[in-house]
Amino acid sequence: MTTTSTGISSAGTNGRLGWAIRDTAAMAGRNLRRLMRQPEQIMFNLVSPIMFTLLFRYVFGGAIGGLQGLNYVNFLIPGIAVQTVLFSAGVTGFALADDLQKGFINRLRSLPMARSAVFGGRVAADTLNNALGLIILLATGFAVGFRPANVPGLVLAGLLLLLFALAVSLGYALVGLSVRSPEAVNAATFPIIFPLTFASSAFVPVETMPSWLQGFATHQPVSVVINAARSLILGDTATPEQRDLLLGGSGTASLVLQSLAWTIGIGVVFGLLCTRRYRNLTA
Amino acid sequence: MTMATNAPAVIATDLVKSFGDVRALDRVSLEVQAGTVLGLLGPNGAGKTTAVNVLTTLLRADSGHAEVAGIDVLRHPGAVRRRIGLAGQYPAVDESLTGIENLTLVGRLNHLPTAQCRSRAAELLEQFGLAEAGRRFAKTYSGGMRRRLDLAAALVARPSVLFLDEPTTGLDPRSRIDLWKVIEDLVTQGTTVLLTTQYLEEADRLADRISVVDGGQVIAEGSPSELKSRMGGTLVEVRLDEQSQARRVAELLTDAGDGRVSSQGTLVRVPASNGTAVLAEVVRRLDAQNLSPRGLQLREPSLDDVFLALTDRFAEDEQIRSTG
Repeated sequence: MTTTSTGISSAGTNGRLGWAIRDTAAMAGRNLRRLMRQPEQIMFNLVSPIMFTLLFRYVFGGAIGGLQGLNYVNFLIPGIAVQTVLFSAGVTGFALADDLQKGFINRLRSLPMARSAVFGGRVAADTLNNALGLIILLATGFAVGFRPANVPGLVLAGLLLLLFALAVSLGYALVGLSVRSPEAVNAATFPIIFPLTFASSAFVPVETMPSWLQGFATHQPVSVVINAARSLILGDTATPEQRDLLLGGSGTASLVLQSLAWTIGIGVVFGLLCTRRYRNLTA
Repeated sequence: MTMATNAPAVIATDLVKSFGDVRALDRVSLEVQAGTVLGLLGPNGAGKTTAVNVLTTLLRADSGHAEVAGIDVLRHPGAVRRRIGLAGQYPAVDESLTGIENLTLVGRLNHLPTAQCRSRAAELLEQFGLAEAGRRFAKTYSGGMRRRLDLAAALVARPSVLFLDEPTTGLDPRSRIDLWKVIEDLVTQGTTVLLTTQYLEEADRLADRISVVDGGQVIAEGSPSELKSRMGGTLVEVRLDEQSQARRVAELLTDAGDGRVSSQGTLVRVPASNGTAVLAEVVRRLDAQNLSPRGLQLREPSLDDVFLALTDRFAEDEQIRSTG
C-alpha cells in the first residue's frame, strides 16, 4: 500500500499528461471490448453503409440530375461517407447515457483517473468504429463503380471526415450526459442530425433544391465537409463547371480549411460543454 | 471499537446541499472514527445518498466542511479519490466485461502497476467467492454476485475509507448475510466504513455508531445500544382485540410503569426498566378488571422502535420533550 501511494505521488509532477493518456487507453480498450461484444451495434455499422450505397446507386440514382456530367457514384460515396460517420457518432451518446444510467459513470467519478479519459476513451473507440464503417463503405463503393482520383486525396478526405465525426461525437456526448437514457439520445438528436444530413449536398446537387433551401443546404457545416471531401477525392478530374456547381465553387484548400474551422469550432464548444456537464453531474 | 482511538477518518460539519427547492442535506454533521463502522440510517429521500455523494466527491456541497482520511473533500477531491472506495446504490459493474476485466480496469484507472492489477483482481475474486466466475461476463452474474463484484471493485486500491450506499438493497436473505460477513471481515482488517441503509437489522449488526437521518438532518446519533436505551429500556407490550379497549387499558396502566405509556392501534406499551416487577403489576391490574389481552410480552426495545419514534415528526417532538 505504501509503495502504491508513493508511486502515485511521484507520477504527479511530470506524469499528469502521461496518466491522462494511459487512462484514455484503458477506457478506449474497455469501450472497444464492449462494442465488439454488442454484435447488433457492429451489424448496424456494417450494413448501413452498404444499404445506403445500394439504395442511392441503384434505386434513386437514376432520377438524380444536375450532375454536370459527373458520374453519380463518384458524387454519392463522399456523401454517404459523411452520413455514415454522422449516424455512427451517435454511439458516443448512447454509450455514455447507458454508462450514466447504470451507475458506471459514478464509479469512474469516484476514481483518481483523469476526467478527460472518460470522453477521450469514448471518442477514440468510436472513431475506430467509424473508421471501420468508412472502410466498409469504400469496399462497397469500389464494387459499384466508385473511382477516386488519387489515394492521398482519398486518405485525407477520410481523416477529415473522422475528425468532423469526432467533433460531432462530443455533441452526442453532451446529449448522452444530459438525458440519461440511450433511447432519449436518439429522440433528442434525430431532429437535428436528420435535416443536417439530408438537406445537404450529400445525395443530390443543392442546385436541384428549392431556392429557399439552397442557402442553408450550401453553407451548413455538413455540406462544407462533404464538399471538401468530394473535392479531395475528385482531385483534378473535376471540371470547372462541376467545381462551381457541385463543390461550392471554392478550391480544395479553401474547402478543407472551412471544414477544419467548423470541426474545431464544434469540437471546442461541445468539448467545453461536456467537461462542464460532467463536472456538474448531480450524481 | 478498540481501534477507535485514532483520529476520525471522516468528519463532516454542517453540510448543506440543495436541489432546487429541496434541501437534501440541511446542516448534516457526521464523524466516523478510523477502523469503525458508521451506519447512516433513514428512509428513502432522507439524504443518505446525497451525504455519501458529497463525501465521495461526486457532488459539491453548497456549504459546510468535510474531511475524508484527513483531506479536505472540497479542496482536494483528487487526493480524496485515491483513498476511498465507493459501492453505490446500484452495482456499477460493466456487464459486457468479465469479472477479471472489471477489476483489472478499475485497477488501471487507480494507476496500479499492470502486474498488480491482475494479482489484485485474482485475490479479490478469491476473497469474494467469485474465483470460478471470474472469466464469465458479468451479465451472467446473479444479483448477489454483482454486488460482491461491485464491492470488490471498490476495494481494488485498498482504500482506507469505504463508502457503501445501501449495500444489500434488493438482495435475497442468503446473499445479504454473505455480504454482511464480507463487510465484517473488512472491518476486522482495519477498513473504516460508512454505510447507508434502510434496514435496522443491518445497522444493528454492522455499525458501531448510527446516525439517524431524516429530511436532510441528523435527528439522532449514538451506538445501537444507546439509541435503544433512549427509548427507556425494556418494555411491557400488551396487545388487545380492539382499539377502544387499548385506549382504556392505556389509561388503566398510566402509572404502572416508570415512564409514559403509549398506545398505538391495538397495542399498549409500558416502559419497564424494572422489568418483571412492572410486568407483574400490569398482569394484576388487567386481572382485576377481568381483561384478557391477546398478547403480553416483556421485551428489549428494537431499533425499529427508535426509528419509528424518531422519524415520525410528532413522535419526535414528544421524544424531545420527554428526554428534556
